[in-house]
Formats: sequence, C-alpha cells, structure tokens
Amino acid sequence: MGFLLRRGLAALLLVFAVASGALLLAQLAPGDYAAQFGKTPAQIAADRHRLGLDRPFGQQYAAWLKRSLTLDLGESFQYDQPVAALVRARAANTAVLAVTALIVATAVGIPWGVVTGSRNGAIARMLRALSLLVLSVPPLISSLALLTIAARTGWFPVSGMGGPRHLVVPTLALALPIAAMLERLQSQSIGDALDRPSTTAARARGIPESRVIWRHGWRQSLAPVLAVYGVIVGSLFSGSFAVEIVTSWPGLGLLMQQALMTRDTNLVAGCAVAGAAFLAAGILASDIMLAVTDPRMGIESMS
Amino acid sequence: MARHSRCALTIAAILFAGACNRGNEPAAPVSTGSARGGALTASIRSEPATFNRFAPNGNQAPVEAVSMLVHAPLVRINRVTGEPEPWLAERWSVSPDGRTFTLVLRGGVTFSDGTPFTSADVAFTFQALYDPTVESSLASGVMVQGKPLQVSTPDPRTVVITMPAPFAPGVAMLDNVPILPKHQLQAALDAKTFAKAWGITTPPGTMAGLGPFVISEYVAGQRMTLTRNLHYWRKDTAGTQLPYLDRLVMEFVSGGQDAEMLRLQAGSVDLMTQADVRPEDIAALRRLRDQGSVQLMEAGIGVDPNTLWFNLTPGNAAVKAKPYLQRAEFRRAISFAIDRDAIANTVYLGAAVPVYGPITPGNKTWYSPSAPTFPHDIARARSLLAGIGLSDRNGDGMLDDATGKPVGFSILAQRGTIRERTATMIQEQLRQIGIAVAVAALDVPALFGRFGAGDYESIYHGFQASALDPAMNLDLWLSGGSAHVWNTGAAAPWEKSMDALMQQQAAAPTLAERQRLLLEAERIFAENLPQIYFVAPRVTVALSRRVGGAVPVLLDPKVLWNADSLFVKH
Repeated sequence: MGFLLRRGLAALLLVFAVASGALLLAQLAPGDYAAQFGKTPAQIAADRHRLGLDRPFGQQYAAWLKRSLTLDLGESFQYDQPVAALVRARAANTAVLAVTALIVATAVGIPWGVVTGSRNGAIARMLRALSLLVLSVPPLISSLALLTIAARTGWFPVSGMGGPRHLVVPTLALALPIAAMLERLQSQSIGDALDRPSTTAARARGIPESRVIWRHGWRQSLAPVLAVYGVIVGSLFSGSFAVEIVTSWPGLGLLMQQALMTRDTNLVAGCAVAGAAFLAAGILASDIMLAVTDPRMGIESMS
Repeated sequence: MARHSRCALTIAAILFAGACNRGNEPAAPVSTGSARGGALTASIRSEPATFNRFAPNGNQAPVEAVSMLVHAPLVRINRVTGEPEPWLAERWSVSPDGRTFTLVLRGGVTFSDGTPFTSADVAFTFQALYDPTVESSLASGVMVQGKPLQVSTPDPRTVVITMPAPFAPGVAMLDNVPILPKHQLQAALDAKTFAKAWGITTPPGTMAGLGPFVISEYVAGQRMTLTRNLHYWRKDTAGTQLPYLDRLVMEFVSGGQDAEMLRLQAGSVDLMTQADVRPEDIAALRRLRDQGSVQLMEAGIGVDPNTLWFNLTPGNAAVKAKPYLQRAEFRRAISFAIDRDAIANTVYLGAAVPVYGPITPGNKTWYSPSAPTFPHDIARARSLLAGIGLSDRNGDGMLDDATGKPVGFSILAQRGTIRERTATMIQEQLRQIGIAVAVAALDVPALFGRFGAGDYESIYHGFQASALDPAMNLDLWLSGGSAHVWNTGAAAPWEKSMDALMQQQAAAPTLAERQRLLLEAERIFAENLPQIYFVAPRVTVALSRRVGGAVPVLLDPKVLWNADSLFVKH
C-alpha cells in the first residue's frame, strides 16, 4: 500500500509541476489572448480585465492553484467553456488513438522482436534492418509519409476523426516507431533469455524449438520489455502531439497547439495536466506490471 | 433586376426622391431541375467558440460563417453586385431626409422551429445587440458616428429604423445583423446571461433561425452538421424550396491550409470555407482540374491586400533613435524602390497585381485609376532619401543617417506565411538602395503583443475586409479606428483632415460625390503613406467537381455566402 501511495503522490507532483511549468511558459511567451488586431486599445483593455489577464502573474497563478485544488481548471478564453470539459472530450480522443497505437505496436513489435532475436536467417536480418529504419524515422515524418500515401492512393481517409478507417493513418504513424522500439528490446532480451541454462535444459529435454522460444524464452524475456512501457506511454503522448497536428486528429495535442497559438493559458495548463496525468498513469501501470510479472521485484521490495 | 440596379446605383435617388420603394425580390437562383438533395462537406480551420454571433467572442470567422448559414438579416448585400437586396424585409422606403427607413417584413416567414417571425424579433435583436451587458463585438459596426440605430415596430410586419446621422450605405448596414428568435432568447437577455447563451454545448437542433440550415449535430474537434431548414422561405425560379442541399457538413481541419488542401485533393472535402487557393498550390490544382476532380474559379483581385505600416504613434520608443522612419519621404522612397511586379511574379507566382493603396482594382465601385501610384523608380527613391539627409557616407554601399549610423529598420511578419516571404523580398529589394532591413517572423499572438505594446518599427500584415463600401470600413480611415493601426495615439493634422473627409464621404448624398471625396482621402493617404501596399492576389477558389451553384466572391465566406443555392452535381 505504501508503494502505491508513494507512487501516487509522485504522480500528482508530476502533474502539478508540468501544469505549473506550462502555465508559466505560456505566460512568458510574447502576446496574450486579448491583444488582437482589429480591436481598439480600449477594447483590448476591457477584454484583459474581463479575462483577468491584467493582474500580475503571481496573482493569476495563485488563483489557478486555488481553483485547481477543487479540480476546477478555469475557463478557456477562446471557447468560453470550462477547460475540464474541453480537455475531457479531447483526452478521450487521444486515449482512443494512444490505446489503439499501443495495441498495434505491441501486437507487431513483440512477435517481430521474438523472430529477430531467436533466428538468424536472411528474413530475420531484413526485419532487423527494417526495424532500425522505422525506429530512426520520427512520428512527424512517418505521419507525413503515410498521409501522402493515403492521399495518393485514396485507400484511407487522410485526416480527421470518423469511423475506424480514420484511425489507420494516425495509428500507424504513432505505432510503427514504438513497434520498432519494442522489437529492439524484445530481440535483445529474448536473445539473452535463450542463452540461459534453463532454456538449454529445456532444449535438452527435447522440447521443440518453437515452444522453447515462446513458452520458456519469451516469458523470461518480458521483464525488461514491460519496464519500458511507462516510457512508451510518455512517448505515445509526445508522439501523438505531432501526429494529431499533421492528421487533424482532434485530441489533446491538437487542442494544446490551438491553445498555445492563441495564448489561451488556462487551456494550455489544462492540456498539460491531462498530458502529465497520462504519463504518470503510464509509469504507475508499468511499475505495477513489472512487480506482477517479475517475482523478484515484489511490490514490497519496490517500495 | 435593371430597375433594382438603377435604384441602388445612385443613392441620390433614394435620398432626394424621398421614397424609393424596394419591392423587387432578390434574384432567385435559376432552377437546377433535379438538383435538390444530397450533402456537401466544407472544411473550416477552427471551430466556432460559440453559436451566438452577438457574444463578445462572436466576431470570429467560424462563428460568422455559421451565423450566415443558420440566420438571416433583414437586408442582404449581394456579394456579387455589392448592392443591398430585400431579404427578410421584402421592401423598404426612405424618408426625405434619408435617415429613416420603413421596412416591411416578408409575410408568412417562420423560424426553423415553426414560430412565426414578426417585428418583435427585430426589436429584440437590436435590443440584445446594443445591451451593455452583452458586450457584443458586433455592436460597434452597427452604429453611425458611434451612436446606435433607433428601432421601432408599429405593427408586426413593419420596422422603422432611424439613423442617428446621415449614412450613405443606409440599409446595407443591416446585412451585418442576423435576426434572432425572441421567443428563445428573451429570457437570457432579461437574466443578463445572453452573452453566454447558445454556447457550443447548447444541444444542436434547439436553436431556431431564419437561415437556410439548422445545426443538427456538433462533435467537438471534428465536425458540425447542418441540415435543411424545412421552414426556409426562399424558392428558386421553378418554385423549388431552397436550400437545395439536405445537409452541409463542416469539418474542422486544424492542421492549417496544407491539411485542407490534402483533403480537397483526396476528395474528402468539397470546399474550403475560409481559404482561397495559395499561389504555390495552383499548379497541383490545375493538374487535378485537368483530370476533372476539382474546379478552379476566379473571384477577382483581392480587396484586402497585405500592407507594410510603420509605427507612427507619437513618442513611441521604438523609433526615437530613427527619426527618419517618421518621415513621409522615407516611406514614399520605399514605395518607389519596391519592384511590385517582382513580388507578384516571385512570391505570388504571377497570381497577383501591383497595388498602391487600400482600395484595389477588385473593388469595382470604389477603385479609381486616378488614385496615386508609385511605379518602380530607384532614382526617385534615392533622391527622396537624399532629400532627408540619408546617403552613403562611408562608401560601404549602405545609407547612413546624419549621425553616421546605418539606415535600416525591422519588419515583423507572421511566420510561415506569404507575408513572411514578401517581407523577405522587400528586405532584398531595399538592400539594393542601401537600406538594411531585418525581418522578424513571429506567431500571431507574439505579433499582436509587440503591436499592442507599441514595440515595433514596422509590421507587414493584412486585415480581412468585411465590406467593399469604404463607409463600412471606416476603422481604417478614421483616427482611433481599430484598423487605423499605424497611429494609436493623438491624430496628426493630416489624419484629422482625412477623418473629416471620410465622415463627409460616409454621409454624402451621391455616389459620384462619395467617389470624389474618397479619392481626395486617398491622395492624403498616399502623400503621407502610413501604410505601403505592394500587391493584391488574384483570388482563386478550389471546389470539388461535385459542387454546383457556386458563385465565388471576394469577401469571406467566398463560397458559402450563397449556401442556399449550392447543389450537388451529378
């Protein structure tokens, strides 16, 4: 229990620190929401006053802190709506994309790694090279490449959110680099596992190679792979930021970009809260998974 | 139509004849046979922040576009002819002094929820518009010399509108006022919550309007679906009730114009609500047009060109060290030094024409070929600069001021846009006459921030025109106006003369007199040149091959302005 509590508190601290940092950075960026061409200085001053932007940053921050203690993230300037409601709707869209991408990355990356780690033929070498290639392409570039393919061929919708077909381009853009990362880890770790005396003993008992790999080797190789899932969730969020913007996926990344572009500071902080919460939840989940899968890393010993 | 035009062309006729009856229907779309039904998809770059056009944030482009689809004004400005045409008001007459307009409302019109439309809705609309608790961003545009219009409603079909001062565009001003349903919004106005009414969380389908469509679905971040208003009052020449479309889907495409273009090319959107085609996209679109998948339509020469303005606010800190920036000769020299054709050919790939002032040749009624021009003339530019003591004193090829400091200034421009590329071109051209220009590319809020703080030497930017009549764009001309960006402080004597001329222009009785006064104001403008204009783009609109009935115009929304007449081509 102590472990969970400590990790939970650390997660809260992370969310708080990220949101405060976002608020401060949005405040430091030149310009504010009220200042726009086409308004007279009097109109701008009136809008600043209405939105509370004419107060010193310390006061604005204190008010934000006080509100956020009651889970009130304030109102978005541009949407005139509570930030929490806007963020909730968009976070759900990001979650759909992230979870789909995680499933696809896992379903592709793990078997890919098992194959490249346990075999040494021409196909395995080719798959290894492919993985390095995919790994070295950032999601921004891969999403642009996939968009071009989708636009040229008309196989999939090029952007936006609609039916399951709309998921294909952003999911692949987000999932492929992660699949490649999982492949690298899984490949390394299954290689190590297959060299262990326990797998040699299993082979000596006459167990078929495929069963040695999948039943014995794979299970032993899982711990290091699971350990990075927390980081993967973090990279899913940062990767989805770029992918959402390129493919117009209406998630947190796109919302945060709009908020930053218009200096909608409450909304920037709200998006940062949600993003940090995603990351914290991912780290927490991977800690727990690690503890469950590796008996040597019991929850008590981790605490 | 001919009678209609004659009547509108000379406002003198309206003012002096005392009563010009407008009984003509607006030109109904010619029947398209079996074109009724189907759906079109339009992309829009941002979502509306509210469905309430009168809200403080109701002046954003998407809110305006939605309002135009869902609501209707008493009088509409025909975006093609530029003339007012009867809309919810079927005719009107004008008092001999030209200040009081008696409008007769169309009979049998109902809101989309079936409630009859009466003059009480008009009275309520103006009450909400001017209510101080609403803080409507629209209100200042529906005032004459800062005073509201007086509205009275002697009977359910008659509205009497009195202008506080003579105003030549007259009822054209009403184009900007969508009529709202009193039965739905009176309670919010009474409770002082009107500004927050009809936010984006309002259930779609519950907001009644008099426009061709009703909002039937709103999915945050994704799309908004508008369906046919079954009670819409307009019909085409064959008597078919408009709109032709069953549905109009507005997809929110936030990835900028690249994302919109991609969708247009992939066929998932039929038109772009706000975007004209960028010069760099024309070649690709021409190929698609030749393959038959898109249509390209020219709307004319843009009426809202980008402009370079200097910070002329008296006493501003940014230019104290460079007094020459305050000299009209300096700005005129820049205007002569720039090869506008080169900008048109290089930056706009030929899809632009040189312009020299705020009124471009695209504005047919108000453009005058006699307005001052600044043809490319390096020698003249050099002599103007030498005349204010700017010359090359150290032989390095660059100009120096009287104290020996190099002559130069910075231009702020919006990052990643054609404005940034044009500013870079200006930089290169001015280097050739010895002026060192630094271009700082910023995002829009940072640009506004620097402008608001007066922390700039010059800015290259543009403003979207909302009307072609200069009397309805007075914010540019009048000191203190929101688009009078070069000087936010006390007006200079020449600005005061321009103020007086433009006030006269807005009230003058005849078109010829108004044109003459505008030309005079343009001459004062060119002499002092607070803003330098270089090119105006040729506006091209791209549509999928499915879009029928489109009549692209120069003011936004360029295609959706006549959404009730759009149809799906089979």
